[in-house]
Amino acid sequence: MTVTDVSAPRPGVKRFIGVDFDFGALKNASPRYWAFVSLLGVLLMLGGTAWANALAHGGVVMAMRDNYPWGLWFTNYMYYVGLAAGGLVVYASVHLFGAEQFRPLARIAVLQAGVLVMMALLGIVTDMERPWRAVWMLLTPNPTSPFIYTGSAANLYMIICFVDLWILITGKGGEKLAHRMTLIALPLAIYLHTTTAFVLSMNKSREMWHSAVMVPIFLTSATASGVALLLISAYILRRLGVVELTASMFRSLSTLLATVMIIDLFLLLVEILSVFWPTSAMPGHTVRLALFFNSPYAWAFIPVLVLGIGAFSLLAPRGTRHLPAIQITASSMYVVAVFLKRYSLMAMGFAINPLGQYTPPYLPSAVEIFLALGILALGLLIMTVASKVLPLRMPAHDPHEGHSHGVAEPAAEPALASGVVAP
Amino acid sequence: MPHWMTISILLFVMTLLLSLSLSPPAAYAGQASTGELLFYPCTSCHPVTLGSDGKPSRPLPNGFEGHRIVLTSHDRLGKGDAACLVCHDDASKNPGKLKLIDGTLIDIKDGDISAVCYRCHSAKYQEWKDGTHGRHQPKCTAAGCHDPHTPSWIYVAPLRPFTGSGFQARAVSKRVAFSPLASPPSPPPVETPWWLRFLDTIGVLTVVGIAGVLILGRQQR
Repeated sequence: MTVTDVSAPRPGVKRFIGVDFDFGALKNASPRYWAFVSLLGVLLMLGGTAWANALAHGGVVMAMRDNYPWGLWFTNYMYYVGLAAGGLVVYASVHLFGAEQFRPLARIAVLQAGVLVMMALLGIVTDMERPWRAVWMLLTPNPTSPFIYTGSAANLYMIICFVDLWILITGKGGEKLAHRMTLIALPLAIYLHTTTAFVLSMNKSREMWHSAVMVPIFLTSATASGVALLLISAYILRRLGVVELTASMFRSLSTLLATVMIIDLFLLLVEILSVFWPTSAMPGHTVRLALFFNSPYAWAFIPVLVLGIGAFSLLAPRGTRHLPAIQITASSMYVVAVFLKRYSLMAMGFAINPLGQYTPPYLPSAVEIFLALGILALGLLIMTVASKVLPLRMPAHDPHEGHSHGVAEPAAEPALASGVVAP
Repeated sequence: MPHWMTISILLFVMTLLLSLSLSPPAAYAGQASTGELLFYPCTSCHPVTLGSDGKPSRPLPNGFEGHRIVLTSHDRLGKGDAACLVCHDDASKNPGKLKLIDGTLIDIKDGDISAVCYRCHSAKYQEWKDGTHGRHQPKCTAAGCHDPHTPSWIYVAPLRPFTGSGFQARAVSKRVAFSPLASPPSPPPVETPWWLRFLDTIGVLTVVGIAGVLILGRQQR
């Protein structure tokens, strides 16, 4: 059965561009649901006020100064772009590697990726301060600037995610088109994260970022945090009864997460080692990376190591990896760790400027924080509404339809009733 | 040959030629600025006779007033013109010749200039001969790496947008340990309007209130 087979629509269901939007579910939603929506609404309103204030008063209301031209908003851009990766990796593994156990996650993964890239782009639009001038970047691009590539890739990626979601929901083009979309989306996701890393690593004057390992670290951090966030939202949506997911799917996802985590941590340690190795240390690079450990920035970077290694050691033992509490704790730890990593990487890169002058740490201003919260609330709001309105539950897959897949792990286990296993 | 193949090959060759023509010259320290001597041949001016006022009695071409070369490390060779005559032969006799310790004269353009450097820098000269110092460079100076008058200045390859001119860069003689400079002047403070603070406080309290109700309601259920 597919969703498009519904012949007698339920009351409140409106069909638009081939998708059944279930607005009736909003009417039946519980007061707690609406309380949460209003919470997000308040945050959204505060974010809107903050942006209006930023547009009216300009840079004086932000903590970004000469020495810190990028702040929380650009950090969020890199963070959200990274989080979007995980969804695509999971979705692509269904089609490219025949990881059938992840199929029920496909719609959630693609929706989450699209919403996150949209949040990332909103962060950039607000960071521009005069966003209406963005059109000049499109009309007179500077091909030596990595921003051209990462900005255009993010836009394309967002469009592809939403088109992909539409294809997954309507079933247009069948398995074949979904497979082809993966072949476009996955390389584009890698391209997007590579160019995002280039924004930092192509700065010759910023010695701390000028490292080729920045690109693979971005890819692995992005995948790890994205998969972790997908795991968390999958648990939440299962708890809310939006989707049915098996425990074996979560176990496979945790194994994938642990694998990517250890690669990410390995690359980070390799970078630290090669910077500090006594006979090859470059003074400018060492003194900047040392601030990670011996300056006020240590409060942002030491937790990266603690949370990251902690999350991996939670997921590493086979005996406990299947426990939802372990999975959720480790995932949350890693999502926070990657945010702190991005934040410290961004702010620390500016802490000692190219002239060698040290400046006090960057802390975002109230306007920056509330605008970032507003964008976060917007993303959560879209996900909250979509969980009710959009048909996110994947229809049962007919193995005879389309081309055959190598079934990696058959989901023979019955789906557990919602709300029983979640902690 | 089909047309598309011809067009593809043509496009490929054109792209290759274009990329070759656009690629900047290989940049490595030690390439000569231009390899040309500015005042060559020397005989176009020398011998120059000075008048009683110490200035050239015959005007020099292009309003040139004589060499003004400041020695910053080779000044230890002597005072005034004496420093010049350590390496250069007397301009009134043999302009354009450098001299070795045994009096042999070598041409400033085509001669083995490195032999002049060898007079004092024999160890470096040997390293250059062995290929461990200034590898692949034909000479020490002029068409080589060092400014002969101040050898700690080296020529570097012209880079865009300076293509064709070349310039000198000061070489760092010793590896200097990194030490942060004094902080720049403190930036202007962040301003947040009072009404925004008020609004944000109310908003945060509301959010905390709703979140509290949601969490407590969950426990009662």
